[in-house]
Amino acid sequence: MKKITYIILGMGLLAFSSCFKKDNYAAPDAQIHGNIIDFYTKQPLLTSQADWSIRTWEKSWKESVAQPRDLPVKQNGTYNNSKQFAGSYDMLPYGGPFWPIADTAKGVAFNGSAQQDFTVTPYLQVVELTTSVSGTNLTLTCRLKAPKRVGLPNIVEVKPYLSLTEFVGESNYINIAEYNNTRKQINQSWLTYFGDVETSPVITIGPLPVKSGYTYNVRIGANVNDAFRKYNYSEIKEVKVP
Amino acid sequence: MKRNILLYMVLLAMVFSACQKLDLQPKGILLPEELFGNESGVKKYFTGLYNYLPIEDFNYYGNNNPSGGDAFRPTNYWEAGKNSQGNCSGEFFNTWQGVNNSGFGYWPYNRIRDVNIFIRDFPGYKANFKPDPYNALLGEASFLRAFFYFGLAKRYGGVPIITTVQNPLAPRDSLLVARNTEYDTWKFIYTDLQFAIANLPATSEFGRANKYVAAALLSRAMLYAGSVARYTTYMNYGAEKAYTAGLAGIDPSKANEFFQYAVDAGKLVETGPYQLYTKNYPDKALNFANIFLDASSTENIFVKDFDQTVPNDTRLRHNYDALMCPQPDMASDVGAESYPPFDFMELYDMTAYINPDGTPVRFTNRSDIKNDMEPRMKGTMYFDGDPLRGKTFSIQKGIYLTYTGTAAAAQGGSNAAPINSSGNRVLGSRGQTTKINGVDMLIAGAHGHFTFNADGENNAWGAAFVRKYINPQMATPDVRLYNSGTPWIVFRLGEVYLNIAEALYELGKRSEAFDYIEKLRVRAGCKVARPAIDMGTTNIGSINKANYPYQIENSLQFIRDERVRELYGENHWWWDIRRWRTADQILNQFRPRMLSAYYVANEGKYIYIDEINRNNRSWTASKSCFYEPIPGGEIGKNSKLLPNNPLY
Repeated sequence: MKKITYIILGMGLLAFSSCFKKDNYAAPDAQIHGNIIDFYTKQPLLTSQADWSIRTWEKSWKESVAQPRDLPVKQNGTYNNSKQFAGSYDMLPYGGPFWPIADTAKGVAFNGSAQQDFTVTPYLQVVELTTSVSGTNLTLTCRLKAPKRVGLPNIVEVKPYLSLTEFVGESNYINIAEYNNTRKQINQSWLTYFGDVETSPVITIGPLPVKSGYTYNVRIGANVNDAFRKYNYSEIKEVKVP
Repeated sequence: MKRNILLYMVLLAMVFSACQKLDLQPKGILLPEELFGNESGVKKYFTGLYNYLPIEDFNYYGNNNPSGGDAFRPTNYWEAGKNSQGNCSGEFFNTWQGVNNSGFGYWPYNRIRDVNIFIRDFPGYKANFKPDPYNALLGEASFLRAFFYFGLAKRYGGVPIITTVQNPLAPRDSLLVARNTEYDTWKFIYTDLQFAIANLPATSEFGRANKYVAAALLSRAMLYAGSVARYTTYMNYGAEKAYTAGLAGIDPSKANEFFQYAVDAGKLVETGPYQLYTKNYPDKALNFANIFLDASSTENIFVKDFDQTVPNDTRLRHNYDALMCPQPDMASDVGAESYPPFDFMELYDMTAYINPDGTPVRFTNRSDIKNDMEPRMKGTMYFDGDPLRGKTFSIQKGIYLTYTGTAAAAQGGSNAAPINSSGNRVLGSRGQTTKINGVDMLIAGAHGHFTFNADGENNAWGAAFVRKYINPQMATPDVRLYNSGTPWIVFRLGEVYLNIAEALYELGKRSEAFDYIEKLRVRAGCKVARPAIDMGTTNIGSINKANYPYQIENSLQFIRDERVRELYGENHWWWDIRRWRTADQILNQFRPRMLSAYYVANEGKYIYIDEINRNNRSWTASKSCFYEPIPGGEIGKNSKLLPNNPLY
């Protein structure tokens, strides 16, 4: 009887010891952050939340071929991720509205808090955004700028974005036909459509029906027919409809 | 003690006697001799493979997340209707699905291995066969393998070409096979199908391949390959490694080679015993509908049989009737899920619904919208007034107390338009009526479009329901889940004509191309059977005024539209807009429009208004949709599959 008791106790000990909570791998705690600088303005690139991302490949793990992981870029042209495994990474801004970057940042060390900035050359700049409200109709104007026009893919469209929150861009806007149908679909080369000029004539979009008493955040985006067709944006303007 | 020894000896004797002849052949397993040594065995072996062919039929689960099985054989396949490829790609309007760029990880190398085992071992049984059936069966195996590779190539571009039976114990490195180029993959399909055509007989039993079936597959596959070669260059994939390595995309100079193969294969099918279906002439609308219902149709080249009388869960049944017809009148379970957008209806000859001065045409009856419609369109869709299963479709969205001015005043149905103010436009729930001048007037029809359950099923969003493949012989109580048995037509002569026509036009043989288009348009009952060839170019497509990244001749756009008209609802559209490399532009916030019927109360007449869909739903595809990513699990096993397809 005593024997059986010992056996049961022993088995119990074995059984419960397997529940011991110890993960043998530390949680990821390295931070990587930085800015995506617009080559022309030297300011962070005007973009939209999670439109595109920084592609990373972990190179310190040699057992398998590194698969890309993407860190989304924020609306203010920065990125930040504090839950990365420490190690050596390659990094590349990927899928955004800028000329492809030939040089991947090789061997960036993620350890503690690291900063890695990138400079990109946007395809287009959307400048001189103006807004005017007449009654409950909003009209927008802007100009496009293409400092580098050799090899520029066709311009696809110029599109208005309205939002009731501070986040406005392709990932967050009032997605209704009344607005989308006012976009200018171009799909021609810069040279054919605008001629050999750096800055386009004024482009007018609207009128867009808006509601009285609301405050809209407004911007214009334009994109070219590269592989990703992401938008270059103007800055955001706040519009209070009386 | 002695007794114990004896006992042990007896026991030992029993134990060892049991060790005799355990190595018996199990009687329940068919071995190569049984399977490959005679024709019935081979047929049994092939049956399984036919069942796995990548045919996007009624049960194809276009979304990437079936709740069991894979997309071709989902366990919960009643949901396949909701997740159909047409729903995902905007071909059908619905309130559930969006574009699925990334697929579901189709990777049928297990089935390809089955074929390869047959091709390796079957010659060992050559003595059992006469030469003809022997060669025919080898040809059939090539057809099956090509079909699996076709399913792969149209999704991934270049994939590893495996023609041997890999030994799992071979050195690891030899098992990790890199991708072949996309050009080589399509050429491999060509070679396999040429072998099949050379060896298969001219006729076959129902549901099995013959040389014309192989040729029909070849015409479709080579048309796809030709388009990939011609148009991928406009994608600006630039430095994407899969593109530069030729794994995704083909050099444009190879396009004509493939288009010529498509023409040749199509013309071989023409020499076969097939004819366009015309049995129900002169009623061309009924005739078009019956193409898909008459099992004896002379147009069928290859048919996947569905039969709801087969016992157990053998997956030869489907739910199409129950998922396309409105409940409770025409279906008794689930009900309509998918509706034809007006954007597609517009492609056909259409009754004028707007006068030259811009005002809506006044109709005496709602069903007058069909008066001037192309018969093929009436055979493809059901409209108000059409009978089905003893009931009549009743489709109306609401009442205008008065309607003055142009159709544009309705502003696409927007609530903001003054004419649509609630004091003038009355909307209601199913079959609801309202008193106008003391008379009860119907607001919304029994089958739509009503406000109650506006997001749900059984509510026509526009003016039509799908008619193609709907079996009117079924009684409403029988229209339930898993209860439809209409066969799926995999290849029919109409498609082959379209393949030939498009390939011929791409080769610059414009007039000859329109010979084939004309045949289809005569059968369809179009007003103009043979439009004049228009070599003017455009980059604007028909649906959603898509901005193509390249210029095409207007007549080539016409041929593409003809393909959409003829093959609507047959799971071609998504693959077509992918291979034309226009999906990202056509589905660039594609917001399906809906044609809505209204009663104008003060005039006692009906009008039709072109509206934006009420849910404001839109479909958007990105440039990554032209290739699906190589499944992550496969890359994990074999890193030689990298680089992955563009934009992944």
